Amino acid sequence: MLAVGDSTRLEIIFSTRRYKGQISKRPKIKTNEGPPDKFVQISSMVTQRPDSTYPIIIEPYKLDLSQFGEKVVKEKKFTIKNVSDQNLKVSLVSMPDGLFDFKLPKTIKPGKKSEGELKLIKEAYGDTFEKSVTIEVTDAKEEATRFTIPVKRTIHVAKASPDTTVNSKGKGSQ
Amino acid sequence: MKRLTFISCMVIVFLWGAVCAYAAPRLTVPESVFDFGYVPQNSTISHVFWLYSTGDDTLKIINVVPG
Repeated sequence: MLAVGDSTRLEIIFSTRRYKGQISKRPKIKTNEGPPDKFVQISSMVTQRPDSTYPIIIEPYKLDLSQFGEKVVKEKKFTIKNVSDQNLKVSLVSMPDGLFDFKLPKTIKPGKKSEGELKLIKEAYGDTFEKSVTIEVTDAKEEATRFTIPVKRTIHVAKASPDTTVNSKGKGSQ
Repeated sequence: MKRLTFISCMVIVFLWGAVCAYAAPRLTVPESVFDFGYVPQNSTISHVFWLYSTGDDTLKIINVVPG
């Protein structure tokens, strides 16, 4: 229910699975407004070879902040290689709110690599998620190409097993 | 004087009824299309769209059907 003047967010989650090439999805939003129904549309170019894209190659092309143990995995670095013959401007298009900060280089010269960084914010140390960040590179002719980097975080903390406990005198049970 | 007050009240009630009869919910999605660009296979990605109630009656979102 949305009162007059209110707003809400609708998160569309897309699993690329074994799709290939240009894929579009058009979820329908049914409301009491009546027909015609409204739509949102997402489109993507699902690639089997994310290690050989153009005009940039992102390495790693997926960011995994998964944590095995108590030590918090707070950040991940990645590189963006400009494989074109033009200077590229890099900009952030979309990222989730309240989970991490994202640093990108402003420009990358032809043939050069630059580093980016994703830093989990303190409030999200206990969170698990599967989200993504979309960036855009623009060449000298103002031609823009987008890339989406999946970002995942799971937490695996081993629980102490009763079998491994030792009694206070340092002797095992008999 | 009483008659004038009565007529005024009737007019107000009539106008209010007319407004209610034409009140309609309206959904506005300012950015309804999003391009992810290149995406690796076997990954999960997401994007948030903002939905606004811009009509003059409460908007009920019944469901979202995957397309």
